[in-house]
Amino acid sequence: MIQINNVFVDYGDISFKFKDYTFNEDITFITGRNGTGKTTLLKSIAGLIEFEGQIMGTGVYLSQEPVIFNRTALENIIYPLEIRGLNPEDYMDRINELGDKLNVKHLFHKNAKKMSGGEKIKVALIRGIIFEPKVLLLDEPTTHLDIESIDELEILLKELKEKMTIIIVSHNKSFMESLMKHEYHLEWKNV
Amino acid sequence: MILVFNLFESLKYIVTFDAEMYGIILLSLFVSLTATLIASLIGTPFAIFMSVTNFRFKGAIKKFILTMMAVPPVVLGLFVVLLISNKGPIGSLELLFTPAAMIIAQTLLVMPIIVGNIVNSTESLNKSLIETCTTLGGSKRDVIRLIIKETWPYVMMAVTLGFSRAISEVGAVMLVGGNIRGKTRVMTTFIALSNSMGDYSRSVAMAIVLLVIAFFVNTSIMKRGVMYDPNK
Repeated sequence: MIQINNVFVDYGDISFKFKDYTFNEDITFITGRNGTGKTTLLKSIAGLIEFEGQIMGTGVYLSQEPVIFNRTALENIIYPLEIRGLNPEDYMDRINELGDKLNVKHLFHKNAKKMSGGEKIKVALIRGIIFEPKVLLLDEPTTHLDIESIDELEILLKELKEKMTIIIVSHNKSFMESLMKHEYHLEWKNV
Repeated sequence: MILVFNLFESLKYIVTFDAEMYGIILLSLFVSLTATLIASLIGTPFAIFMSVTNFRFKGAIKKFILTMMAVPPVVLGLFVVLLISNKGPIGSLELLFTPAAMIIAQTLLVMPIIVGNIVNSTESLNKSLIETCTTLGGSKRDVIRLIIKETWPYVMMAVTLGFSRAISEVGAVMLVGGNIRGKTRVMTTFIALSNSMGDYSRSVAMAIVLLVIAFFVNTSIMKRGVMYDPNK
């Protein structure tokens, strides 16, 4: 669960004030026009930018252009396990299962830097959920995905919503219609 | 025909190089490698610090570094001469016309190239790495380790460019070293001197050696910084 109270972000030339809201388990889409602060809100929840006010809880943020480390896809995926001192071997079944679901298992031993944009998003998604965070923040995850990959992502997110709160920024209408349970709409305001 | 003859004569010189020539080559390598090493050890942490933090006057410092990247070696050499000559602030150290003075001049010449190239090539990458590592639960130590690992190829590229600048420059070492035979004469000043004396064969011979050394040293540094390719 994520609760936001009186959150205000000031970039100097532009500021955002977000209405109070509680993101419960399940999937919530943040909607609104360009420049209304959707990414800013996700990054605030993830603790990646400074803000005034209060946000209870935090989550793993996945950008639409995820940073992939200069190593194999599998080494990218096990990175968060390594920094937590966890043994990747204990997670191999789950990693293979997620690789099958997103159709990237065959790429596990390839250099992730050389993958396509869609493949990088899938690898970054597995890397972001392998340690089972309580909250997942997805910023336009379908940007580089083909139709089949979007279907695979929908199936995976339907499974994940049972275990974690998922907050998504997206402009993909069919993707939203398929998954939307809650909506948090942002309107542009010059604060 | 004259060119072919000169090349033949030059190759003969390379084969029959005497102790003085080897002394010049070794001094060149010592001065340029030492300067590159010092500039790298000081410049790399500073560059990474600059690329990951925002602070007051950062923009001004970046502009100064960019300016210094383009400074002519002879101008920098003049600055160092004023600094270390008898009447200069550190004249009492008696560094003028010594290899130490040449190392100081080349270090100052190379440092902006290393810092500027690292900052330019890693600034946006480092910010994304910090975000990604933080959101995945990494500590500050994890962030630093990740940045070092991921930016290593860019650091090595900058060091290679720095060494290339050091080994190939002539103006700074000429001014602060004085091109003294057996003491401060390096490959580039030897080439300039031989050329001015009309001894083109010796100039070309040393130029060939300089190019070969630059190729091997740069290849060796680059090899340590090539993008890690697990598929190879």
